[in-house]
Amino acid sequence: MIFSSPYFLFLYFPVVLLLYYISPLRWRNLVLLIANLVFYGWGEPVYVLIMFVSIAIDYSHGRIVTTCKAKGNDRGAKMAVASSVVFNLLLLGFFKYWDFIVGNLNALGLDLVTREEIRSAINAALANIGLKPLFQAASSTLPIGISFYTFQTMSYTIDVYRGDARCQKNIVTFGTFVTLFPQLIAGPIIKYKDLDDQLEYRDHTFEKFASGVQRFTVGACKKVLLANALGPLWDVYLATPSSQLTTLGAWLGIVAFSLQLYFDFSGYSDMAIGLGRMLGFEFLENFNYPYISKSASEFWRRWHISLGSWFREYLYFPLGGSRVKPARMVFNLLVVWAATGIWHGASWNFLIWGLYWFVWIGLEKLWLGRVLEKTPAWVCHIYGVVVAIVGWAIFAVEDFSAMGPYLAAMFGFGAGALDTDFLYYFRNYLPILAIAVAAATPLGKIVWHKLPQRARQAAFPVLMLAGLVFTTAYLVDGTYNPFLYFRF
Amino acid sequence: MSKKYSIFITALFCTFVFGFGLAHFIIPDRDFSEQENTFLAQFKPPTWDTVRSGQFMEDFEKYFNQQFPLRDQWVRLKARSERALGKQENNKVYFGKDGQSLFAHFTELSDEELATRVGFVNKLGDNLDVPVYFSLVPDKSWAWAMFLPENAPNIDDGSTIEKAQALCGDNVNFISLKHLGITCGNTQSPDEDGSFYRTDHHWTTEGAYRGYMALMAGMGRDIQIYEWSPALVSDQFYGTTYSSSGAGWVKPDSIYTMIPEGGTKGHITVDRYPEGEPIPGGLYYPEKLEVKDKYAYFLGGNQPLCIIKNPNAQGGKLLVVRDSYSDSLAPFLAEEFQEVHLFDLRYNNKSLKQYVADNGIGQVLVLYSANNFNTDKNLFKLGL
Repeated sequence: MIFSSPYFLFLYFPVVLLLYYISPLRWRNLVLLIANLVFYGWGEPVYVLIMFVSIAIDYSHGRIVTTCKAKGNDRGAKMAVASSVVFNLLLLGFFKYWDFIVGNLNALGLDLVTREEIRSAINAALANIGLKPLFQAASSTLPIGISFYTFQTMSYTIDVYRGDARCQKNIVTFGTFVTLFPQLIAGPIIKYKDLDDQLEYRDHTFEKFASGVQRFTVGACKKVLLANALGPLWDVYLATPSSQLTTLGAWLGIVAFSLQLYFDFSGYSDMAIGLGRMLGFEFLENFNYPYISKSASEFWRRWHISLGSWFREYLYFPLGGSRVKPARMVFNLLVVWAATGIWHGASWNFLIWGLYWFVWIGLEKLWLGRVLEKTPAWVCHIYGVVVAIVGWAIFAVEDFSAMGPYLAAMFGFGAGALDTDFLYYFRNYLPILAIAVAAATPLGKIVWHKLPQRARQAAFPVLMLAGLVFTTAYLVDGTYNPFLYFRF
Repeated sequence: MSKKYSIFITALFCTFVFGFGLAHFIIPDRDFSEQENTFLAQFKPPTWDTVRSGQFMEDFEKYFNQQFPLRDQWVRLKARSERALGKQENNKVYFGKDGQSLFAHFTELSDEELATRVGFVNKLGDNLDVPVYFSLVPDKSWAWAMFLPENAPNIDDGSTIEKAQALCGDNVNFISLKHLGITCGNTQSPDEDGSFYRTDHHWTTEGAYRGYMALMAGMGRDIQIYEWSPALVSDQFYGTTYSSSGAGWVKPDSIYTMIPEGGTKGHITVDRYPEGEPIPGGLYYPEKLEVKDKYAYFLGGNQPLCIIKNPNAQGGKLLVVRDSYSDSLAPFLAEEFQEVHLFDLRYNNKSLKQYVADNGIGQVLVLYSANNFNTDKNLFKLGL
């Protein structure tokens, strides 16, 4: 289930709210757990099993780590942490990367089975003993959100070992954490230690609820009114044959994608944070105007913050971080960025995209960063945004035979500067692009906070209702509502 | 935020989401959407199997979305908002510069694919001993191109028609309708041309009449009736392009019928073959003027086979390989030919060659709109 759909907004969520608030406090986690499982199983019911397994494994590993530590058995505790990490990585590896790995190895002459073959084999075996197939059509083969929740649960055992988090003894409470629907399928990636206290006790106030409403509405508008509106423009340029791609057209397309991705993902994070507040939770921020960054390093402190901080805390720092010899630091960066890249999808272009960021960030750490400090701010802004946008071209054009020509067209080696199609699309998308560019800067926020409080209080309900009404209109109209982060 | 204000915001939000949620359950479900011209999904109670397989959820989403309260109004609001944002199109429909015409997007066909498709017509020509004529009706986006938004990417039916003509073999006579409606080039408004509906993809009765004259000239016929007078049958027609566009601000189209000189003589009989057995029908279905899809006024809508007989005519037996454009052309053909067989490849797997032989057909016309010709998946049957 996704937030930007009429049945979520007008059926699932109101029902969950109602059940949640009529339940006594001590039952609320259980109500949420059940609601979460419905939310998760909606798309592919069989994958609820993964949830149960995931809860059971991580819960028990947390208990084992605590018990071992209490007995002074550090070796046992370490083994348990390792076993939990291996389990989560295997889960992720099998569902997300198996076919990619097998495809590449088979191309080298091996003969490994794909996930589809495993699925049909299981179905066939069940049919033999007279049971119905466990798996349906091979539609959504990747369990949604698996990249997010495996990372969350991994952080739990590690933190329990490190003493940063307490062990959770109540399996319902733990299950609620693992499956918490607002951030289950697209983040923010929440570490258990950041939610620990709130799982036990959280207050439910009207102030919190209203600020959740505000945040949710902003997120819904970002996703539905901006990201979905810009999507078709990128689709046009992605589908344009390389031989017809002009320089301005290629830039228009990738700028549209850059904005679409930002509003899609940050809008989804806003909705998650808003929904969380309506249920009493406070989640950490996930985006902070990434396109105003003045460097590649700053971009990653502003883009998908929860992922960057996860990798820093659980991969980069354990490797030694930056407090090592330069050669070792470069190696550490390489590992982190290769992992970041491949986390975004099981395809070579994501790995290359990760390495692309490795190059820029590595350069900045070694030398470029000092140069940028002495460079005028506006040049740094241009540098930051161009690095990000060129990166998105590697990210978005998955097909290798198309990626090269697309980048070439961006840098002037295409079918001329512009054509009449470009004039049409530019003319048609100019207003929405202008709105989106403005919305990607803190401009609106600054103006909003300059308004007198009375003006804000008068304007907000009007804007909120308008936002909800237009979001509903676009949702009801929209068969065009692909959700970009399902793949991750 | 003060507590009072927060309660107000909370109440406002809850009223909105609970309100529409409840309205969805209270308002009775609809069977059919006139706006979309389609049957709407209905609620299917869950069973263990459908829940386990996810089928229930899939059906339920469709049901919930399609039966959403005020669905048509939401769609129109979105179209208006797109226009207010300066968009010149919505849901793959261009808003014409005249403010009243709606143009559908079409996908372009490769030259190879076009050659394959014309090849099927050539095969038909080679297979038959009787004359085979072939013609393509251009979309209004060709004839009325000057009313498209500036620089709008669009496929050019004029060159499709030229290419198709060049690809025709010796046994196929191509009749070009490239100039249909092109008089519009000199006019201020597409209404002055009137060859196409502004809100629908079809040609109008006027357009069909012009097409008819060109086709008869191409077939070398000395036609019997030249004088026809138009009679208005509906001024409330909103066509398919309108439905997808959501463009609520556009005026409806008018549907005319053409009365031949001296009035209809009542000697024409129509046999429909919905399922193999003939049932009596008519050239016009006035009851269809009461529903959304008013174009079905002509011959009652799609059917596998329709045979129109006119014993007073002189032109022998004509077989038309049809799409829906032929339905408004049929009344003209009916005055000219003793028998007109409208044969739809989509619903027929019979061999055309056999059919022509069995029925003593004297000439064959393959008539498609350029877009249908580009997209239909049954053309290969021409060669069977």
